[in-house]
Amino acid sequence: MTEVAERQDEPTEASSSPVLLELRDLSVRYLAAREELPAVRGVNLRLGAGETLGLAGESGCGKSTLAMSVLRLLPRTATISGEVLLDGEDVNTMRWGRLRTVRWASASVVFQGAMHALNPVRKIYDQIAEPIQLHHGSQVDQTELRRRVLELIDQVELPASKAEAYPHELSGGQKQRVMIAMALACEPRLVIADEPTTALDVIVQAQVLALMSRLVAERGIGLIMISHDLSVLAATCANIAVMYRGEMVEFGPSARLLEQPEHEHSQALAAAFPTIGDPAARFKPATSTPLPEPEPDRCVGEPVLRTENLRVDFRDRGGATVRAVRDVDLAVAENEIVALVGQSGSGKTTLARTLLGLQQPDSGRVYFRDTEIPSSARGLRGYRRQVQLILQDPASALNPRHSAYEAVAEGLRIHGLTDDEPGRVARALEAAELRPAERFMSALPHELSGGQKQRVVIAGALALDPTVVVADEPVASLDASVRGEILALLLRLRIELGLSALVITHDLGLAWNIADRVAVMYQGELVEVGTVEEVLLNPQHEYTRSLLAAVPGGTYRSGPNGECAH
Amino acid sequence: MTAGETKPAESARSIAWARRRQAAGRVWREFATDRGGLIGLIVLAIIVLLAVLAPVLTNEADLNVTTTELPPRDPPSADAWLGTDRNGVSVLLLIWWGARVSLLIGFSAALLSVFIGTAVGILAAHFGGWPSTILMRLTDFFLVLPTLVLAIALAAVLPRGLGTIVLAIGVASWPTTARLVRAQTLTIEARPYIERSRALGAGHAHLIGKHVLPAVLPLVFANTTLVVANSIIAESTLSFLGVGDPSRPSWGGILQAAFSSGAATQGAWWYLLPPGIGIVIVVLCFTLCGRALETVLNPRLRGQG
Repeated sequence: MTEVAERQDEPTEASSSPVLLELRDLSVRYLAAREELPAVRGVNLRLGAGETLGLAGESGCGKSTLAMSVLRLLPRTATISGEVLLDGEDVNTMRWGRLRTVRWASASVVFQGAMHALNPVRKIYDQIAEPIQLHHGSQVDQTELRRRVLELIDQVELPASKAEAYPHELSGGQKQRVMIAMALACEPRLVIADEPTTALDVIVQAQVLALMSRLVAERGIGLIMISHDLSVLAATCANIAVMYRGEMVEFGPSARLLEQPEHEHSQALAAAFPTIGDPAARFKPATSTPLPEPEPDRCVGEPVLRTENLRVDFRDRGGATVRAVRDVDLAVAENEIVALVGQSGSGKTTLARTLLGLQQPDSGRVYFRDTEIPSSARGLRGYRRQVQLILQDPASALNPRHSAYEAVAEGLRIHGLTDDEPGRVARALEAAELRPAERFMSALPHELSGGQKQRVVIAGALALDPTVVVADEPVASLDASVRGEILALLLRLRIELGLSALVITHDLGLAWNIADRVAVMYQGELVEVGTVEEVLLNPQHEYTRSLLAAVPGGTYRSGPNGECAH
Repeated sequence: MTAGETKPAESARSIAWARRRQAAGRVWREFATDRGGLIGLIVLAIIVLLAVLAPVLTNEADLNVTTTELPPRDPPSADAWLGTDRNGVSVLLLIWWGARVSLLIGFSAALLSVFIGTAVGILAAHFGGWPSTILMRLTDFFLVLPTLVLAIALAAVLPRGLGTIVLAIGVASWPTTARLVRAQTLTIEARPYIERSRALGAGHAHLIGKHVLPAVLPLVFANTTLVVANSIIAESTLSFLGVGDPSRPSWGGILQAAFSSGAATQGAWWYLLPPGIGIVIVVLCFTLCGRALETVLNPRLRGQG
């Protein structure tokens, strides 16, 4: 198309690319319960045509608000001051009709959570065609429209047959591709991507990021990408802006910001996701409280939790057998943290549930200290004092009606440990670093932050003095800075109390941060098991290699291979 | 703040109680903003108070048809504000005492129905598998039985009396509650905190008592007020059809007596209208309260009228 060709020339013609978007002293406040909450405070920003910018920051820092203000997609409760100049025109003073024209034709959005942003009852073809029909009305004839939509589907690397599919027939990554195709439908000059890869697996994330980089480069589109993960932004964007409490605290080229962040908060963000292989991050998750030195000649004890030829099958709706866990032999020893890594759907969570006796295996055995775990309700109760579960999302793992005290005391009450209950609860809360414990006892879950909630869940597990904890994605739903603190807590519990842990994760950096051994799971099978250094620095299985290759930050190259903790 | 100073064992319990008081206070404040619900509650409180105090404020002996001195089918006068019935008993007095029976049966039948429904709903959802299948097929069976016919059949077979009416209405009306409670329990059971509790070693009793029941109860409570309204209507219907307790006046019974004595054709409106209006007012009040309570407990209903 000639139009595209012309646009591609624009940035090269003008040596200093024309300003596509300019924010001048932009502030946004939300009116909530007679109180004004500032979300964005006095941000200045310039983005040239064809330039890429990453917006980083934790949840609640105002990065999404900032991005949505570009298209005036904010709720009624928001008051905006300052200017948002899109192609030199202030969005805030536009009339409604002009705004509608600008939306999607000049700038479009790839929304967060592709699974919810698509209409489940309409075909992919119709959903991609919708913005084109809205903006060009009756001028486009059906054959031209069809050609255009199929071209878009082809550009986002989807097979043409998917045009007739419904959203539920697509995988998460494919849905995200459809969202990108929709954003490109009216050939905008600016695309805003709000956490486009957050819900995706590492490998799919790498594919989507590569696609976005390619399209942006080919078409000379300006891109604003929002994420909490600096390495994801660095993979696609030339510049990164870090936001903290509504203010832009640092701005600079991606490589520089990733390696030498200046602002305290950027440093915390950069440190939160370690580079695999970096000896400085081994057994040192980013935390503000210093960790005890790892003991130099630590001995890993006997296996406490062990599986033998474990197999779990499910039946899907069609009646076909799905093998969730196939012949798995896995052991967690005393005083050891094992990381179980793999994509979603690889059977990690099923394995964890089987270890806890929440799921019956179809064949094979689970041993706890050389005794097979009982299947009777009474026997399981005793076993569950020894092995504890920490769930992914602390917000839903706590009963919203129960205070922190009750949540921690629940296990004690179930097991009849009623003597000195308040003392035990207080000790558990303090062991989970909620100090002073009295301050948190009466707090309800909604009064606590994400990290504090996860600490309450951990305290609930610690109250029973368990031997092993099984943590299912313990930091996946937490903010970057909290992530390091929770990982440090798990590591500290291992060092100080000798608590073993099986940590289930899709995040290889987590394994590098705290684990002693890694088990890689692929389609229900353990494809590789070994020490962290062996598996992550010298992967043998092809799948492990592809997982490592997909990590956005890449792996540490200059460090010596096979450097061990002992 | 004070947890460190007070005795810890007490503080744990007092924390829980303080929280419950706080939650109740919040529900009440939100309820009070709903004008319809508030009016319903006030009117209902007055009616219940009057019904309870009937033996104190009136003389039960005046209900006796053999000793009454008033003329039968007399229009409203100073002696009898709402006129008299076919036996010369004051209609006002009949309505007053009839309210006691109607409300008593309404409440008892609703409690019975909600109790059965809640138990069946929670058990079916919690245990799943074949117990669930059996319980839900039983529920479906009762759901498709015509409620009124079942109640009439039961009331006709069993000895006559208040207990029979309560049983008939209660047994006939629990399936809807069971379905509602089952649905709510299923959503609660899917929450990860149930999984966490199970991993801590919790048994069925703990899960149901500590997690499921407290989460389901608000819904059950709102549902109860609506079931009371239905039970009062059912009681009136049964009495009107002549299967009620003949020894005591209830609103349905009064209507039946008025109808069979030809009050409608003779223009004795004072005999027919008051029990009907009484039923309408009480049922309306219960519905208003129930709706307001539902809105407070389920904020998603707000703004839909």
